Amino acid sequence: MARYVAGRLLQAAIAVFGVLTIVFVVMRFSGDPTLLLVPEGASQEYVDALRVELGFDRPVVVQYVDYLGDLLRLDFGVSVVQRIPAFDIVAARIPYTVLLAAGALFVAIGVGIPVGIAMAIRRGGWLERALAGVVLTGQSMPTFLSGILLILVFGVVLGWLPTSGAGDLDTLVLPSVALGALSMATFARMARIAIVDELGKDYVRAARARGLSLAGIVGRHVLRNAAIPVVTVAALEIGNLLAGAVIVETVFAWPGIGQLAIQSIQSRDFLVVQVIVLLISFVYVATSLLADVAYGMLDPRIRLAR
Amino acid sequence: MSEAIALALVVENLTIDIDGASVVDGVSFAVEAGEVMALVGESGCGKSLTAFALLGLLPDVATIVEGRITLDGLDLSSLSEREMQRVRGNRLSIIFQEPTASLDPLATVGAQIAEAYTVHHGVGRSLARAKARDMLVAVGIPDPDRRLTQFPFELSGGMCQRIMIAIALICAPRVLVADEPTTALDVTIQAQILDLMKRLVAERGTGIVLITHDMGVVATIADRVAVMYAGRIAEIAPVEELFARPSHPYTALLLASVPGRDQPPKQPLATIDGQVPAADRLGEGCRFVDRCPVAGDRCRSEAPPLVECAPGHRAACWHRDRVAGLAGIAA
Repeated sequence: MARYVAGRLLQAAIAVFGVLTIVFVVMRFSGDPTLLLVPEGASQEYVDALRVELGFDRPVVVQYVDYLGDLLRLDFGVSVVQRIPAFDIVAARIPYTVLLAAGALFVAIGVGIPVGIAMAIRRGGWLERALAGVVLTGQSMPTFLSGILLILVFGVVLGWLPTSGAGDLDTLVLPSVALGALSMATFARMARIAIVDELGKDYVRAARARGLSLAGIVGRHVLRNAAIPVVTVAALEIGNLLAGAVIVETVFAWPGIGQLAIQSIQSRDFLVVQVIVLLISFVYVATSLLADVAYGMLDPRIRLAR
Repeated sequence: MSEAIALALVVENLTIDIDGASVVDGVSFAVEAGEVMALVGESGCGKSLTAFALLGLLPDVATIVEGRITLDGLDLSSLSEREMQRVRGNRLSIIFQEPTASLDPLATVGAQIAEAYTVHHGVGRSLARAKARDMLVAVGIPDPDRRLTQFPFELSGGMCQRIMIAIALICAPRVLVADEPTTALDVTIQAQILDLMKRLVAERGTGIVLITHDMGVVATIADRVAVMYAGRIAEIAPVEELFARPSHPYTALLLASVPGRDQPPKQPLATIDGQVPAADRLGEGCRFVDRCPVAGDRCRSEAPPLVECAPGHRAACWHRDRVAGLAGIAA
């Protein structure tokens, strides 16, 4: 297990390094980065001065080493627009996005997994067909549309829930549902496939032959076996939730990093965008790493391997 | 009356349909306590379906359309699924062809053996664990305390089959159904597992229904044999009697096709021409008729009944008198 985790850590480190490099390359070679940072209509003198100030006139290799050094010291630069460290701007928004992602994950797992289990156990019955409709809706409705529909029904028509901004817990409900719906469908489908797959295996028949009921077999054996592929999906879904947050946060005026990303792109606050990209990439890598470790802990064939 | 008590399992006229075709047709046999009853036949003859039907574990496509299965006087066919759960693994057990796949890969073997006990006897973990340990000793697994904590992937196939036997016997069932229990194992391991089963039958008085296609296995362990062909029993007899005087042409040809030690090397083995008829092309008459070297007109039109030809020896053939000539090597 130790060797397995060490291997995954090394892979994660390589992935992070790759992301850093790609961000650097995209930033330096997609045109003059100085021009991205200045307001429209700035004078040539101002541009030249800023270029020297930010070090973009130096050789690329020097800039790259410098860039990596800055990141190692967690120095992400200063926002040209707001004149405060870019990282502080992003950090102020992180709790909101974490809260939203947690809410969405709660919806996705809390609804998706039971729905998947029910569909697998009641395969071919009316319950499966009804739930398949729910899953299909969650899966096929784009977030911006489901968000607006939710606002219309629960905010405007029924007036049950607030529709924008972040405040009490009730403000979290609609954005979480809108963001979690797609993941809910993914979890339901994955859980259903994994459980149906497990139910066809010989050990299930052997467990029945031992006198266990179907519920007993599912509870004691099948769920644990089916969890392995689902855990892997869960990790990828956390990354997808962060990506989906960009739209949901805009629709619901939720002050998280997704909304910040849109605002920063519009105001050409490039260093803030860079921090967000690095942050989301890091979360992707970290959750994948966690999934691999969880996978290893669930499966004794990996856990006990030397 | 005393005879009736000795019969642990009675199967009467069992008929199983898949898509309207009788893939098991009128199968009847009985197993006494402490007896090994072998069901022999080639792939697709219905022997495994018969085994699953005994436990009420038939796949959804197959249905029992007729017949009675009685375990110790209890009519299993009348039981609900919930009642059947109390019988499975408790009074009637089964072991399968693929022992490794039959164990949950994520649970320790100790937990799986203990589970078979707790599901039928609501006892605490430590008692079930002690019972599981006793069973590991009984099935001849050394170092039982360590083995209890191991996972199936850490054990060999033969070891896993011993675990399956431990699971099957932990509640001391009346009858154990063994569906090709040694087919997936190495030959030397096969012999060990067969010895183990033979010993446990003798010690505990458990009846065994042994499903196999291997005449060598039959000769090693069985007391009586039922030869199945295309869903019907062709012949049923005590094992020595069957090997000495096969009275159905299929049995005779089957025995003749088993290579003996005196088989000259590199010579073609004896085979039975033709193939088992497809389930949807079963005619009125004897199901072996197309491959039978002694068949006559009557065989095509009328299915032969099982008729006693010696005490305890019954065969379903109109031309039993012509079979002796076929026995060849076997005789």
